[in-house]
Amino acid sequence: MKPKKVLVVDDSKLLHRMFEMMLRGFPLVHAFDGREALDRLAEHKDVELILLDINMPRMNGLEFLTAVKAHPEFARIPVVIITTEGTEDDTERGMQAGAAAYVKKPFRNEELIGVINRLTASPAA
Amino acid sequence: MAAPEQLPSQVGSALDELRATLDRAAELAKEIGSRPESAAELSARLADVQSDRDELSTKLAEYEQQVGRLMNLYVATYQLHATLDPGEVQATIAEIAINLLGAERFVLLFWKHDGDEASGECEVAFAQGMEDDKSGLYPNGCYRGGDPAVDATLADGGLRIGPIDGSEALACVPLTMQGARVGALVILKLFDHKAMLRPEDRDLLDLIAAHAASALFAARVYSTTDRKLKTLESLVALVRRQ
Repeated sequence: MKPKKVLVVDDSKLLHRMFEMMLRGFPLVHAFDGREALDRLAEHKDVELILLDINMPRMNGLEFLTAVKAHPEFARIPVVIITTEGTEDDTERGMQAGAAAYVKKPFRNEELIGVINRLTASPAA
Repeated sequence: MAAPEQLPSQVGSALDELRATLDRAAELAKEIGSRPESAAELSARLADVQSDRDELSTKLAEYEQQVGRLMNLYVATYQLHATLDPGEVQATIAEIAINLLGAERFVLLFWKHDGDEASGECEVAFAQGMEDDKSGLYPNGCYRGGDPAVDATLADGGLRIGPIDGSEALACVPLTMQGARVGALVILKLFDHKAMLRPEDRDLLDLIAAHAASALFAARVYSTTDRKLKTLESLVALVRRQ
């Protein structure tokens, strides 16, 4: 099975490096804020999963998620929010905006891999 | 229907068939008799296999956790030494504290120097979540002492993990370079969804203690040298023009 292309949206270089290590075998597309992520999506129409931080400059994660879910072409792509915003209100806000899963930082790698495997139906590790 | 003269031979063969059937029946009865024993054996073997499977499953989970820990350590080390920009190294230390340790409030302290002598106070090189700090220990980007755990770590270079009496610090991580104490990372609060520092966080704290200061020092030296080199180059260019 062809591995799914994953868009990583986070303003932390550390996290991008972490995802490169964790998701070996998955082609990754990188963006450091919401606006750049929209540009990357337009370039890579075969993205099948988005890993999304909330607190980012220029366009934050929730604004990006709202834009993605309003877009006829991208609305189908599952989005996993990965953030330090960990209250119940934050989680509810993210899920209501259309996220498929909500993971709080710091996360255990196996927890995130489990979520990704569930959403992509192809093994992440 | 068979003729009467053929009957004896047919009876004989029927009797043979009957005997064979009876022998087979006896064999089957024996097999059936021995089955309870094999079933017990099979159950025992199944229990063994299930036990092995559970043990392997536990070990796999442990290995996965271990791989996750090692991956965090590798990525943190890699990223600390991936740049020679002092600002980026500080940002990486902050990213490790936030994303890998779950720190919501923390300060990065470095000893101030008057020439070669330590001035007795630290500068706050980086602070996160300190906007509403009421402790008064870090005024105007300076730390002059007052938190016993922080003071002790700055003095002896020991890693301290709270709670510690009289201190609001959850962890005081010494920043050392070639044995010299150059500062400390003080974690004051974790995110609400992270109740406490976990055992595996200790590895990351040790890593910060060992690598953060040297990465930052190397970046600062490079930055200073690069600045001096550029000044010299522009001077040489100026002289050549004249």
